Amino acid sequence: MEYYKPKTAGEAVSLKTDSRMYIAGGTDLGVLLSEFMVQPEALIDLTGIDELCGVFKVDEGVAIGACTGISLIAESELLPACLVEGAKAIGSPQIRNMATIGGNICNASPCGDTLTPLVVLEAVFIIEGDSGERRVKIEDFFIGPKRTCMSPEEILKIIIIPSRSPDQKSGFRMIGKRNGQAISQVNAAVSAVITGGIIKDIRIAAGSVAPVPLRLKKTEDVVRGKALGSNFLERMKDTAEQEVSPISDVRAAEEYRRKVAGSLLESIFRAMRKEAV
Amino acid sequence: MEISFICNGRKRMAAISGETRALDLLREDLNLTGTKEGCGKGECGACTILLDGKPVSSCLLPAAKLDGRNVLTIEGLKGDGGKLHPIQQAFLDSGAVQCGFCTPGMILSTKALLDNNPAPSVSEVEVALSGNICRCTGYGKIVEAVLLAAERLQVKI
Ligand SMILES: Cc1cc2nc3c(=O)[nH]c(=O)nc-3n(C[C@H](O)[C@H](O)[C@H](O)COP(=O)(O)OP(=O)(O)OC[C@H]3O[C@@H](n4cnc5c(N)ncnc54)[C@H](O)[C@@H]3O)c2cc1C
Ligand code: FES
Ligand code: FES
Repeated sequence: MEYYKPKTAGEAVSLKTDSRMYIAGGTDLGVLLSEFMVQPEALIDLTGIDELCGVFKVDEGVAIGACTGISLIAESELLPACLVEGAKAIGSPQIRNMATIGGNICNASPCGDTLTPLVVLEAVFIIEGDSGERRVKIEDFFIGPKRTCMSPEEILKIIIIPSRSPDQKSGFRMIGKRNGQAISQVNAAVSAVITGGIIKDIRIAAGSVAPVPLRLKKTEDVVRGKALGSNFLERMKDTAEQEVSPISDVRAAEEYRRKVAGSLLESIFRAMRKEAV
Repeated sequence: MEISFICNGRKRMAAISGETRALDLLREDLNLTGTKEGCGKGECGACTILLDGKPVSSCLLPAAKLDGRNVLTIEGLKGDGGKLHPIQQAFLDSGAVQCGFCTPGMILSTKALLDNNPAPSVSEVEVALSGNICRCTGYGKIVEAVLLAAERLQVKI
């Protein structure tokens, strides 16, 4: 098997054929390769492409190169709390030192721990392929479990986190079976603009409760305009439990996932209240 | 393809294929069998090596990624004058080794931790070792060993 290390995104795209695969950190792909679930003729390693690495400020907000390591995201001071917490929740130190955020996104598992944070942050993806560059909003990116809108030759280059209001707060919670390695059974993220104790703007998402990371708009409607300290938690939980559409699988049962999604959200709002005091 | 990298302080060259795992290159070609294979899926930490000082799972790492980098395996860890490294000695003194299968990985994760954080708390030790499974000891003595190693290494400085 060949192994290519292109220096630019354009070079990588021109190397791609149907029988070759892109590899970033290799933590998802390495498992598939060792079990012969995929047998590409060649691997095209994206991590040597400089423009794909690092977190930097841009006019629109913050830009994250797709090959930025999860460990770096977990330590970044430029990024919102929910994304930093999501990155910290991934795997073990060994996995975080190898894995990239672009790999987490392109793998498109419904339980990816950076995905719900990116949904509430309304991330925008810059993608390059044969016909040049395009921009895709996160809400249009995931089309099913492990499926994205990218065509096979396309590369995810940059993730843009649009500027935040200085009053924006965010949080992330997950529950899994074992710290260190547990794949999330459910995760949830919230991003809120809270001015004078009132929740002016709110975005809520949950993962592992639907085929794609799910934005919970009905739940948002329950919370929007409420005083942070007021009595909305029970209704919010009920609405969230209705709005998610989980399945039962080896990791958890459907009913459990519904309940946990609500409880994780409650926990995020309680932490926001504490912080506001 | 040809790669060259520094392994345990020595320059190494190797001819590899795209699917070669770093773990197999180390064990089969370089005879560095201190690095173990447990799960082969990134879950147990027995295959941990330090890549540019950071713990990674060599079972998921393509050998191609070693090119130009600095690798430390358990064989490269030595104390002064041919003695055991203080982390190794602390593992022995604390009774943190039973069958020993997890020990190389545990010790390398500990080295990465103590290089960055010479006086970790118990919970920082637990996070740093969260990718290393031990089927024998029950972890208590391993955490003790790490704290003991930290103490001894600090006295040395
Ligand atoms: C033991 C273990 C524990 C784990 N725990 C967690 C966890 O707790 N939470 C979690 O969310 N995930 C977890 N994972 C999954 C995995 O580590 C993450 O999804 C990681 O972020 C994948 O990144 P990578 O760079 O390693 O991806 P890779 O394996 O390199 O790539 C994944 C897929 O995306 C494609 N790809 C990668 N980058 C690009 C790009 N820029 N453009 C186009 N295509 C691209 C590849 O072709 C491949 O198909 C775990 C994995 C293991 C082995
Ligand atoms: S053998 Fe690599 S983590 Fe288990
Ligand atoms: S000592 Fe046997 S696995 Fe840890």
